[in-house]
Amino acid sequence: MIFLAKTSVAPSRSMKDNRIPSDLTVRDGKLRERTGKWFFLMLALTIIELMLFASLVPHLEKEYLAQTILLLIAYIAVEWGYYSVVGIAMQRRMEIELAGFMLSSISIAITASVFPEKLLMQLATTVVGVGAFAFLVWFIGSVNRVTYSRIFAAVGAVGLLGATLLLARITNGAKNWLAYGSVSVQPSEFVKIAFIFVGAATLDRIQNAKSIMKYVIFSMICVGLLFLTFDFGTALIFFATFLIIAFLRSGDIKTIVLVCAAALLGGIGIILYKPYVATRFANYRHVWDYVDAGGFQQTRAIMYSLSGGLFGVGLGNGKLRYIKYATEDLAFGVVCEELGMITAAAILIAYVLLLIYAIRGARYARSSFYAIAACSAAGLLVFQASLSAFGAMDILPFTGVTLPFISRGGSSMISSWGLLAFLKALDIRTYPKVLRELYHS
Amino acid sequence: MNTISSRAKILYALAGLFLVGAILVALTFVLHGDEYAMNSRNRHIYSGNVLISGGRVLDKNGKVLTEVKNGERRYNDSARIRRATLHVLGESGYIAGGVLEKYSAELVGYNLITGVFTAKEKGGNDVRLTLDAELCAEAYEAMDGRKGAVGVYNYKTGEIVCMISAPSYDVKNKPSDIDTNPAYDGAYLNKFIYGQYVPGSTFKTVTAACAAENIPDIFARKFYCSGQYDTGDGVVKCNDVHGELTFEQAYNRSCNAVFAQIANEVGAKKLENAAARMGVKSSFEISRLNTARGSVDLSKTSHTDLGWAGIGQYTDTVNPCNMMMLAGAIANGGETRIPYFVDGVYSTEGALIKDEKNTQTQTLVNTTTASVLKQLMRSTVTDYYGERYFPDMKMAAKTGTAEVGGELSPHSWMFGFSLREDFPYAFSVIIENGGSGYYGAGEVASQVMRSLFDGK
Repeated sequence: MIFLAKTSVAPSRSMKDNRIPSDLTVRDGKLRERTGKWFFLMLALTIIELMLFASLVPHLEKEYLAQTILLLIAYIAVEWGYYSVVGIAMQRRMEIELAGFMLSSISIAITASVFPEKLLMQLATTVVGVGAFAFLVWFIGSVNRVTYSRIFAAVGAVGLLGATLLLARITNGAKNWLAYGSVSVQPSEFVKIAFIFVGAATLDRIQNAKSIMKYVIFSMICVGLLFLTFDFGTALIFFATFLIIAFLRSGDIKTIVLVCAAALLGGIGIILYKPYVATRFANYRHVWDYVDAGGFQQTRAIMYSLSGGLFGVGLGNGKLRYIKYATEDLAFGVVCEELGMITAAAILIAYVLLLIYAIRGARYARSSFYAIAACSAAGLLVFQASLSAFGAMDILPFTGVTLPFISRGGSSMISSWGLLAFLKALDIRTYPKVLRELYHS
Repeated sequence: MNTISSRAKILYALAGLFLVGAILVALTFVLHGDEYAMNSRNRHIYSGNVLISGGRVLDKNGKVLTEVKNGERRYNDSARIRRATLHVLGESGYIAGGVLEKYSAELVGYNLITGVFTAKEKGGNDVRLTLDAELCAEAYEAMDGRKGAVGVYNYKTGEIVCMISAPSYDVKNKPSDIDTNPAYDGAYLNKFIYGQYVPGSTFKTVTAACAAENIPDIFARKFYCSGQYDTGDGVVKCNDVHGELTFEQAYNRSCNAVFAQIANEVGAKKLENAAARMGVKSSFEISRLNTARGSVDLSKTSHTDLGWAGIGQYTDTVNPCNMMMLAGAIANGGETRIPYFVDGVYSTEGALIKDEKNTQTQTLVNTTTASVLKQLMRSTVTDYYGERYFPDMKMAAKTGTAEVGGELSPHSWMFGFSLREDFPYAFSVIIENGGSGYYGAGEVASQVMRSLFDGK
């Protein structure tokens, strides 16, 4: 443990020489960054959000009008509150949060329009998500904390998934919801954060085969438990994330191929023993042949996406929203239809940009934990987004996973923000104290 | 960190695959967008299978056949026009191949850029037809409750002015016994486009064409009809004892004996080829509808079968639209425009969005044969039928009385064309079990063509 902490926290010589980003200036003897641009970007964000929100207000029912407007304004206030503290007072960069705010505002807008009675919940979970993001950014700032807590995260993750398997009732073919009173949560969403946390933290000891084995076992337990809950989409996301982490850690493409082959065999085995698993995906690429049966959701998502054209029919004018779970499972279709394909494409590009941000930023990471965590979190988001968006469009099998930040639902929103924390932590400027030490040493 | 960051570059592959996924979505939208968006389950534009968004369909005179008002699809006020244009417009879920189905994207004004915006904001687009709804109504009434089809088109331009299929029904007051009452059998089919009927003596036109091309002295020959033709392995009965006849007289009087003899003289292969060249076995695209193919299969015929096939019996079938085209081609020197009934798509302001006129031509007979057939069909009217049915029209025609077996009355056929330069119309009429071609289909053709001629 001590060895690990030492190697990962202490900045290396090469980092001191090359890796202090060039857009920093020294003012009053302190390392400073120009912060004015964040104000204008916040302003732009607010204008876009106001336009988005204004477009949905005319369609609102009277009984929700005042409450909805108030909550939408509250959301913008939360953003400016965050900016005042983090951007102005603490002088931090804002690009990651801006992306998160922009994406979240779309699900806020869609929720306000489709389920005005659930807007408060959506807003509250977004605020919790931002809070979780801030907490995680602080928490993983110290590799010591990461190292000591990773065992708890691992146990917690397995415990949560195990509890889900035992306690959850089957909803829509999967046992992935835990309900307590009127509140229901999807524990696998939170486990995503722990999964990356554990994976990235364990991997600091790169040459140790035993620790790889431990992580492989942990991963297989997680994926296995998810399989048992029939939540194949999430299981697939975990598996993909495992592959990313395993590769980043080992660089061993042969092992990855081997693992994939083993997984494929396992998959075939499952299909042989439990043929009904395969029938869930029997409509794939044939949804129009089962237009009122197994292809119901996908065909609706496609026809209504097309109906929206490039610019959308406008918030409140859509028809896909009347399909059950559209704002969750078919969120991409709802965006296409009501906000248009250009907005939908922009959202997809946003995910890719987050991934590119992580890949490029990995060079400047202060330790492998931050590089692996950021890359695998961004990889997870992109993979999940593709399952969700392309699954709804029948390009990939439809698994009903959520579209990060966009789908309605608290667990998914909190999880998306939590994953974003790993990207934020990648940037060394997030931790000025570390940066100053680096600069002055 | 260098190792990790260089390994991280493999994630560019993930980003690349993601973009490939997005491109595949875009490709699906571009290639199949119209079809998928126009699905009758799309609640933007359909309600209970009815296209409730966008778009009027107008006849050639601007008469509104159907439009949407207050989110509901309305049809023409007149029940006779509703019945006559039912198959042209179609009824989703019941009658396939209607304009409302085939032109739904144009009616809605759907495209990938604006989606269903045009329909929502501007009420869609207009589809204008070449049909004269009033003429269609008259044709449907002339059928007088009998089943069958009528089509009339301008063989110089290809515009179909009349096209009806019977039985029809009033879409606004759909009969409750439609699925049980035999009077409505076949009501869901546009028989003019999709029907296949035994041609009877109209097929003698094909046999005549084959004879003209293959028997050099055909016009110099004398034939003899004893009331039947003995083929060697059976007999083909004639409708009369015609005695000595020329080829032309045999065609005029529709002599079975002579044409059974001619069929055997030219042989199965040549007759089948002639039928194929004349389009009998082809499907033509008529304003996005593909006509049913006729059938002439003479591969295993006895002499008697071949004799019967030569007079349009045996297993021969033809499509009414195809027969109309054949008449038009003969009138027009062997070549005809491919008929169409959708003129174009217009914005509600009247601007042309999409021209749907078909300018393609099809050669069905060579010029020499066309003039022979023209003469045969013209003399059939002048020397045999008389001009009573088609005064002043310089009409050329041929009837058919097609035996359909059993106790059933034969199908009644007539097809023909006007030779007047200022009245370049060709027609075909089929009445199922309508009895004599001359008295059944001839009467209907007469009414329709006179009405068209008077309104000219």
